[in-house]
Amino acid sequence: MMNYNKTKISVLIACAIMVSNPVFADDITDLKEEVAQMKADYEQRIQQLEQRLAKAENETKAVQTEVAVVKATPPPKTPQRSNSFNPAISMVLNGQFSGYSKNTDNYLLNGFSLQQEAGLATKGFSLGESELTFSANIDQILAGQATFALADEDGATEIGIEEAFIETLGLGHGVTLRAGRFFSPIGYLNERHAHAWNFSDAPLIYRGLFGDQLSTDGLKLSYVLPTEQLIELGGTVGNGNHYPGNGTHSDVGDWLVYAKTGADIGISHSWQASAAYWQSTPKDRAIGNGDSAVTFSGDTDISNLSFIYKWAPNGNPSQQNFTLLTEYFYAHDDGKLIQGGSTHYNGKQYGGYIEGIYQFIPHWRTGVRYDQLGSSLKASNIGFIQNANLNLSGDNPQRYSAMVEWLPSEFSRIRAQIDYDKSFTGNNDTQFFLQYTVNIGSHGAHTY
Amino acid sequence: MKKLLFISLLLSSFSVFADLNIFACEPEWASLSKELGGDKITIFSATTGLQDPHHIQARPSLISKARRADLLVCTGAELEIGWLPLLQRKSGNANIQIGGSGYFMATDYVRLIDIPTALDRSQGDIHAAGNPHIQTSPVNIQLVAKALSQRLQKLDPANADYYQQRGQDFMQRWSTAIEKWQQQAAPLNGIAIVVQHNSWGYLFNWLHLNKIETLEEKPGIPPSVDYLNTVLKTLKATPAKIVIHAAYQPSRASDWLAEKITIQNVTLPFTVGGDEQSQDLFSLFDDTITRLLDANK
Repeated sequence: MMNYNKTKISVLIACAIMVSNPVFADDITDLKEEVAQMKADYEQRIQQLEQRLAKAENETKAVQTEVAVVKATPPPKTPQRSNSFNPAISMVLNGQFSGYSKNTDNYLLNGFSLQQEAGLATKGFSLGESELTFSANIDQILAGQATFALADEDGATEIGIEEAFIETLGLGHGVTLRAGRFFSPIGYLNERHAHAWNFSDAPLIYRGLFGDQLSTDGLKLSYVLPTEQLIELGGTVGNGNHYPGNGTHSDVGDWLVYAKTGADIGISHSWQASAAYWQSTPKDRAIGNGDSAVTFSGDTDISNLSFIYKWAPNGNPSQQNFTLLTEYFYAHDDGKLIQGGSTHYNGKQYGGYIEGIYQFIPHWRTGVRYDQLGSSLKASNIGFIQNANLNLSGDNPQRYSAMVEWLPSEFSRIRAQIDYDKSFTGNNDTQFFLQYTVNIGSHGAHTY
Repeated sequence: MKKLLFISLLLSSFSVFADLNIFACEPEWASLSKELGGDKITIFSATTGLQDPHHIQARPSLISKARRADLLVCTGAELEIGWLPLLQRKSGNANIQIGGSGYFMATDYVRLIDIPTALDRSQGDIHAAGNPHIQTSPVNIQLVAKALSQRLQKLDPANADYYQQRGQDFMQRWSTAIEKWQQQAAPLNGIAIVVQHNSWGYLFNWLHLNKIETLEEKPGIPPSVDYLNTVLKTLKATPAKIVIHAAYQPSRASDWLAEKITIQNVTLPFTVGGDEQSQDLFSLFDDTITRLLDANK
């Protein structure tokens, strides 16, 4: 077909040339050459046309493929509903079985007060805290988030506001401002909700200093420097009413400064270190254990150092990973103890923990933890400390923990944990926990 | 006031000369940015070809990079939902917030497939917005390239001509390459392939490959023995030639299948850097097609 056409065209051309030019014998050879030349020319052009046609066909094919894809896909549905702007809602449910070799009613922590949430989980089956979190961007400059904890307390269900804050959305230049109630940026675990911790119970130092966790009602400012290695500086100011702060303050009741830095080492390793310093002026803060009626007024400051290292082969944590986490706290109370009269008091409490968590195959993790605390509590009249039931035996509380977890998906976890607890003198307790924790609702992002 | 004006002028003049800082969530977008931005941009890729982009941690290094980014080039469609929102929040960077001038999600420019009809977590790791792995088809890359080139021109008007020229040059080379790949891949038309994880939809549509089985019953969840046996039975009745999995995934399920039946077990790069040959977008598709052709011999 094509050949026939080509021949036809050449013949036509030849005829045309012959008609328009008188034929001279000498020119015949030239003419022949010319015709041959033109024939070649046209053949080349035809070839080019064919190539362009093939190209066009291919392009059409590509477009057709694309069209086929588009056709195969139903148009995206954009239902207009009045709840389209509802916040992301997620709920954490958990429950556990706890077994103890000793009587939990007598639990103490040598040299520390057990206040707020501090203490052991209920013996036998118990429902832990159920957490409800709402979060959304508020408008073009703000985002908001609130977490409510529901728990049984003495037979009644109590709702606590764990966090409720607003935060700027990209204020620019690395600055973020937050206002409301939030976990204070001290240490590593403190800023994370308890369900994101690696063990079912709080580190002893968290239990002893914060009643499990330190919060602030106030403002937080953070600044990420424009550096290659992450350097974040920040601080908070608050009302000073969260334990171990206490009482009303007409202005700033507590403040904190912190610095954080971290980086990668190659593709498989990363780390972060932080330091923080918190200060408050508690008024009549409950101190001690049991039916202690002793309170403390004065200055309290707490310093923290934390370090975390993570390993994930090729930076791919979903297969295998390892985490090493350690934190150290040092708290200093300087003021007076009050019970009717008062006495000068100088208390130092310190300690920390180290834990290692290893995900050896996908969906399975195991880990160990070691806790150790110490204290030095001094009062002009030692009777006040004895009345507070702070158990000044001089033994340093220690605890060894081991756990294994099965994570069927990103949203669920079943954990078995065993602790050997030497929190107070003469009561070495073997503790066992079996716990489930699940997340329903929107997909939360995972902090480092 | 004058001083302030001077300082702001100084700052703005700095930004004119500084490279555009691009934070690419995945290596395919880093590679595309390089093609389109040439030496006027500095690129950082948050992940490598051997990492699973669903499961990345918001590491300190990523926060400091996001802090300084002028432009985020990411896949979107919830692929990075586990880590990108955190980087945006913690960076304190106005440019990269949702809808910001430096917020570019590739899936916004492509029609997504595999949109689930029912959303329920019992069905595994499903992507509500559709299959986000759009980089497996060069047609998608072409669509994204067009939009990305326009974004670069808008963000850095001083170099707009440069970006436009590079964009045109890339488009030309890319369409020529697409033609070449389609011709090369002609023998693959309609061949039966088993996939380990259901992320290859765009590649299959483009090359008219025939996905006959998926080794994962539900996305992201290791298959049960019962399910694998059902797959085996089906494959004995209607044999497939090739089983494929992405380089970043462990090959356990594919290896298991290859032991049970005669089938070519192929690791595809999935993205730039997935294997040694896939150094950029062009070599990614060269390599993908070569591997499929070799297995089809």
